[in-house]
Amino acid sequence: MNMEISRRSFLKGAGAGVAATTIGAFGFGEAEAAFVEGLRPYKLAGTTETRNTCPYCSVACGVIIYSKGDITQGTAEAVHLEGDVDHPTNRGTLCPKGAALLDFIKSETRLTKPKVRRPGSNKFEEISWEQALDEIARHMKEDRDANLIERNMDGVPVNRWTSTGFLAASATTNETAWLTYKVVRSTGMVAFDNQARV
Amino acid sequence: MPRRIPVQGDVTQIGEVRTPPIARVPDPVRLFERRAKRFEVLSGPDGIGPYLGFLAGIARAQHELAQELPEPEAPAEASLDRALEYGMPPLDRNAFTPDEEFLSLSEKLFGKLETLQKPKAAKAALESVRKATQAELTAIVTDLMADSVPVERMAEYGYVAAALQLRFVRLASTLPERELKPVGDGACPACGGPPVSSLIVNWPHASGSRFCSCALCGTLWHHVRIKCAICSSTKGIRYQEIEDGPGTIKAETCDECGCYVKIFNQQKDVSLDPFADDVGSLGLDLLMKETKFRRGSFNPFLLGY
Repeated sequence: MNMEISRRSFLKGAGAGVAATTIGAFGFGEAEAAFVEGLRPYKLAGTTETRNTCPYCSVACGVIIYSKGDITQGTAEAVHLEGDVDHPTNRGTLCPKGAALLDFIKSETRLTKPKVRRPGSNKFEEISWEQALDEIARHMKEDRDANLIERNMDGVPVNRWTSTGFLAASATTNETAWLTYKVVRSTGMVAFDNQARV
Repeated sequence: MPRRIPVQGDVTQIGEVRTPPIARVPDPVRLFERRAKRFEVLSGPDGIGPYLGFLAGIARAQHELAQELPEPEAPAEASLDRALEYGMPPLDRNAFTPDEEFLSLSEKLFGKLETLQKPKAAKAALESVRKATQAELTAIVTDLMADSVPVERMAEYGYVAAALQLRFVRLASTLPERELKPVGDGACPACGGPPVSSLIVNWPHASGSRFCSCALCGTLWHHVRIKCAICSSTKGIRYQEIEDGPGTIKAETCDECGCYVKIFNQQKDVSLDPFADDVGSLGLDLLMKETKFRRGSFNPFLLGY
């Protein structure tokens, strides 16, 4: 609670249960009562506006996503999307792909769970995050053990792992991009993009 | 054949880049004219329509007086520079006491309000405020500047608030708007006062950005969207509107400070006025009364909600 808020009591001497308003004080109490009566059938509807980053490219434009419904109950649904005027990168603008992001959110083919296509199989099967990450780590370890180049043709020590690449998401900040570089490059990977364009 | 770009010059300049100003100071004549017109549109025989018609009369009197009075005098340059240098509002509301100019302005305004059609209570309050001594007026002004109104004298305070609005809108109009700087959370950069509501504007080069409107001096200041207009928190901000409405008027609620401030979307309805529509959308306040949030904005004509 800061000073600004605590000083705003607005009405002095208004005890609990005192229903005094300016409208009544000016003598419009009857009109006010009629208005209150007429308002009975109306209800409130909640909406949410959420800031996010467009996932398409490394420009990382700010977007505002409008949703209807109760976000705490998980019933909120995105209904509209626009460029974030306050975002320093795009200042309210969006490219045609970004402007169509609502279809991206609602796309039937949108990937919402990790999936794997096993060698020899022709279809993807669902897999838990836990298992997916374990398997990815295992594949990476085996590949690195087999293919890491530790010395170049002149015998100078190097750190080159050329058989695996890495793409990080577009919506990264400078700090995550820096961390991506540090983590990925220290494993030896040379083919990576710490803020990929998809 | 080479592809032709259908515009001259730099293609990246298509469309507009939003560069909203930090603040916009009012033009007294236009502000009160717009406010009076909007109150008139909102008024009518039903609901609180008669009250809005009465407020239209007050705004009309403010507008007439804004036209009649000589050009307002700007605050002294030294105090202006000092305020801007130290991040203080250039119009010092707490130091303001009714001077000659204010007394003559309020007397003229109250004179104009005599002819206005009004209920008995409003008439009695006007008489009482016209009879008030300078000491009494000073006390009322001090209370109003602290956004604190005694419950039994709301109507008298309303009249004085109308005179103060005219005085401060005129003062604010003399300020260099490009030099104004933010002075604190939920405070007007011109006079340090609380907002009455906020607006998503439709201005060229600022379309879609949000401005808070000062309850006293009418200055509009830029405030990032989805951010509490009172405590500047960005956590737990949600919106409530009347179900199945046009979606032009919403209450922006903040879980951090428990306040709500109305936000009007001029992109959807350009006629919305930050002050008149705050009273005009009383229905939203009545419904919000049932929630855990309280009104965080100040409007001397809409106290008690």
